[in-house]
Amino acid sequence: MKWFLSFGLQRRKRELQEELDAHLQMAIADRVARGETAEAARQAAAREFGNILLVQDVTRDMWGQAWLEQLGRDVRYAIRQLRKSPAFTITATAMLTVAICANSTVFSWIDGTMLRPIPGARDTGDLVSLQRGERNFSPTPPFSYLDYRDLREQNHTFTGMLAYHNDWIALTGGAQPDRVYIANVSANFFDVLGIKPTLGRFFLPDEEARAVPNVVLGYSLWKTRYGKDPAIVGKSIEVARHPLTVIGVAPEGFVGAAPGLRDDLWVTLDPLGTDVWRMTHRDSDWLIVIGRLRHGVSRGTAAQDLDTLMHRNVAAYPDQHLGDNRITLDPMWRSPFGANGYMAATLPILLAFAAVVLLLTSANVATLTLVRFVSRRRELAIRQSLGANRMQLVRQMMLEGAICSIVAGVVALALTSWTSKTFAWFFPANSIPLALNGTMDHRVVIGIAVFSLLAGMLCGALPAWRSSHAPAMEVLKAESASISGGSRNRKLLSGLVVAQIALTLPLLLCSGLFLRTLRNLAAANPGFEQDHVLTASVGLNIAGYSNDEAKLMRRKILDRVSALPGVEVASLTDWIPMTLIQKRDDAYPEGYVPHPHESLLVQNAEVGPRYFESLHIPILEGREFTTNDDEKVPSVIIVDQTAARRFWPGQDPLGKRLRVWGSLFTVVGVVRNSTHTFVNESPEPMVYLSYLQHPGYETMVQVKTRGNPVDLAPAVESAIHGIDSRLPVFDVRSMRESTQMASTFAVIESTLAGMFALIGLVLAITGIYGVVAYRTQLRTHEIGIRMALGASRVDVLRLVLSQGLWLTGIGLALGLASALGLTRIIVRLLYGIGANDPVTVVSVVTLLGAMSLAACYLPAHRAMRRNPVTAIREL
Amino acid sequence: MSEKDTYKNRIELLQGTLDMLILQTLQWGPQHGYGIVQALRLRSGDVLQVETGSLYPALHRLERQGWVQSEWKQSESKQKARYYQITAKGKEQLASDLSRWERIVEAIGSVMHVSPEESAS
Repeated sequence: MKWFLSFGLQRRKRELQEELDAHLQMAIADRVARGETAEAARQAAAREFGNILLVQDVTRDMWGQAWLEQLGRDVRYAIRQLRKSPAFTITATAMLTVAICANSTVFSWIDGTMLRPIPGARDTGDLVSLQRGERNFSPTPPFSYLDYRDLREQNHTFTGMLAYHNDWIALTGGAQPDRVYIANVSANFFDVLGIKPTLGRFFLPDEEARAVPNVVLGYSLWKTRYGKDPAIVGKSIEVARHPLTVIGVAPEGFVGAAPGLRDDLWVTLDPLGTDVWRMTHRDSDWLIVIGRLRHGVSRGTAAQDLDTLMHRNVAAYPDQHLGDNRITLDPMWRSPFGANGYMAATLPILLAFAAVVLLLTSANVATLTLVRFVSRRRELAIRQSLGANRMQLVRQMMLEGAICSIVAGVVALALTSWTSKTFAWFFPANSIPLALNGTMDHRVVIGIAVFSLLAGMLCGALPAWRSSHAPAMEVLKAESASISGGSRNRKLLSGLVVAQIALTLPLLLCSGLFLRTLRNLAAANPGFEQDHVLTASVGLNIAGYSNDEAKLMRRKILDRVSALPGVEVASLTDWIPMTLIQKRDDAYPEGYVPHPHESLLVQNAEVGPRYFESLHIPILEGREFTTNDDEKVPSVIIVDQTAARRFWPGQDPLGKRLRVWGSLFTVVGVVRNSTHTFVNESPEPMVYLSYLQHPGYETMVQVKTRGNPVDLAPAVESAIHGIDSRLPVFDVRSMRESTQMASTFAVIESTLAGMFALIGLVLAITGIYGVVAYRTQLRTHEIGIRMALGASRVDVLRLVLSQGLWLTGIGLALGLASALGLTRIIVRLLYGIGANDPVTVVSVVTLLGAMSLAACYLPAHRAMRRNPVTAIREL
Repeated sequence: MSEKDTYKNRIELLQGTLDMLILQTLQWGPQHGYGIVQALRLRSGDVLQVETGSLYPALHRLERQGWVQSEWKQSESKQKARYYQITAKGKEQLASDLSRWERIVEAIGSVMHVSPEESAS
């Protein structure tokens, strides 16, 4: 602390001493001049002057720097005290470290995902995500190009509005095609986000809708594939066998506008002029739109503005705007596009859990501190009688708590820089370019500082204030005769133990519910076969084949793969269930006229012959697709039970016709419902189209195998490469592995809740053990007397146990009351279990009660076994 | 109550008045702490005895507020001492202290000198 005190202060102190000295010398000189002897003059002057040290002290108080010096003294004293009891110091610091780290880790995840929705973009708080129609998790892109342009050009509430469409594609030209994630973007894309190029330039306004084969590279692609070539601008690269000219490189860290998803490169909306249809039709919804609000405009006002514009378009082109057209705006942290919709549903709840752990830890450390202060009350009393006022004592004791929590904060900071990166571990292998992880930036550091300050104050202030209340004289006189450390401290200690148990119970209950949810999810039947199915994604659409060639290729692939030994059935699909990917479109039964804004969205997938057989989805009526359901025959469709009930309630759906994308499809089969995205979803209508009639955008081979599907992966891959060695094959994995994606969030929730509950349990048990043991020890003398007077061992056991059980009982009752209220918050995240599931409640209460009982039994047992004679002697 | 607190209370009681007295003393020229004590004692006919424990904190506070400034000089008796000098801001403060003081004296005076007839009416 010394180095804190400026050199100037030392000089001022010296000067003050000289000044007072001069005063004294002048007084002496005056007295001598008046005829007193030197000795008498000095004595009289000194008497007149008073206490020179005290005068210095009160004068220094006027400088306004005294507190700094005092703080230095207090800190040194606090460190000395902490070093005297290393067991307490290490325990308290370690517990605080764990609690702070739990908070900062979850916070770093929130920070890295929800608070930094678009890394690198300017003022993301002004950005809003536009959604049209029904709100749901991962909706499909909601806008057509022409509607987007109208909204962009006619609104009064935005400074800019960008549009994008994500996709994947292959970088060709190398030895092997590389899969990359690409986005078609409006020309103002980078401008609205506030991104500046590292090299070259971004797109110009007049390039937006024209066929200009320009490409902007992402920083990491430029780095890994092109070795940071400084002369890349102007060079040509091959993307899906088309040459594109590199015009710029995006800055490091920027990975696109969809929160949590990565783009590797960007092109304009129709760079090759091959997508004229979707550039010119208002019923082709393919763009995701983000707007930057004008300064001071609220989301509500902006939504009204856009609604007005959209209504105008709906009135002008009613046929192209079937379904719900209302516009809603979301801030980026909970944008339904990208990963933040899922994050917003999970992470804040986990942060709340972590906060409870911090509270619990603080209560625990406060208990320890209080026990320690009670045994230090003699020291405190002596200091008080020597002139320390209560404020000084409180400050002194709070400092000890603060030092522990500051050290804990520093350690937590180091730990969090590692734990923040563990978020990515939760996500299984999948085909989504997830860019999700925690970050360690200034916000997390500030967060840690706030958490530790909070912890320090919570665990230091209360016991400090309490202990400083002890009247000094009584403490000094009564010291060890006091039986249990004063009734006020006893109440506070009991209160802290009750609080710990009451806080632990909700944690345990929630984690129990999450764990049972996870088990239910794993045990749930999704309605299709997961165990003997292998899927592989083939990059047919990017290999440069004509439509006819592609058709032929698909047939060849099916034939070759079907013929492999170990393969029972092979089929085609453009979609794999439970991978968080879904497609939706409006669908209407023939003859039905939808009301304006009425939405009849259905999920859909294009599937090949024998698809349902390969997944063991039963056909309830009609038939499954065959190789004959190709473009030569009228379009056919298979619906699931939910769709059948929705469109033709009480009727036989077979032979009925459904309008999708403006054309009519005849129903040829009804299949049983199966899970689309989440096991706990509410069933949405699903329709299946014939892959051979309407080839899907993705080509996925789906194989039902006899043995372990993974064993067949190399054979399937080489069979496809046998047809064309340049064909890219990706994401070859078992269905079981793919569908793990659907339970990722349940895994995150139960893992963290479980960890937090475990920490809570350990803290609560050590807390109650510590308090009961301490109080029993203080009563050793009393117990000795009781036993000498004839109390049996069982009486002693009962005496000590009843104390602990009372506390446990009150804690459990309070905890149960709050827990039953709190579980309502997580009810949306549960599956197959009620928020107040009696079995979970009873087992959690029993667990906590039994553990507390065990914690009380240990000290009780020890007290019971004491020899009464030695117990009486011990004071 | 500790000795330190006793000092503090006395400073608080006297603060306004002591500040005014110090500033007034410095009106007559720069002076060191001992000189101020002597001047006050002399001019008050030995009534006002300012204690060092009140004087020095007051001087240092006045300096921090910018009402006085100090420098080290040799006294007539060759003793090196810290001399305090009133500043322009200090003079303004003195004027306002004085007028407030006079109002208080007048107010207290008019309370104390009321004749019985006047209070009866």
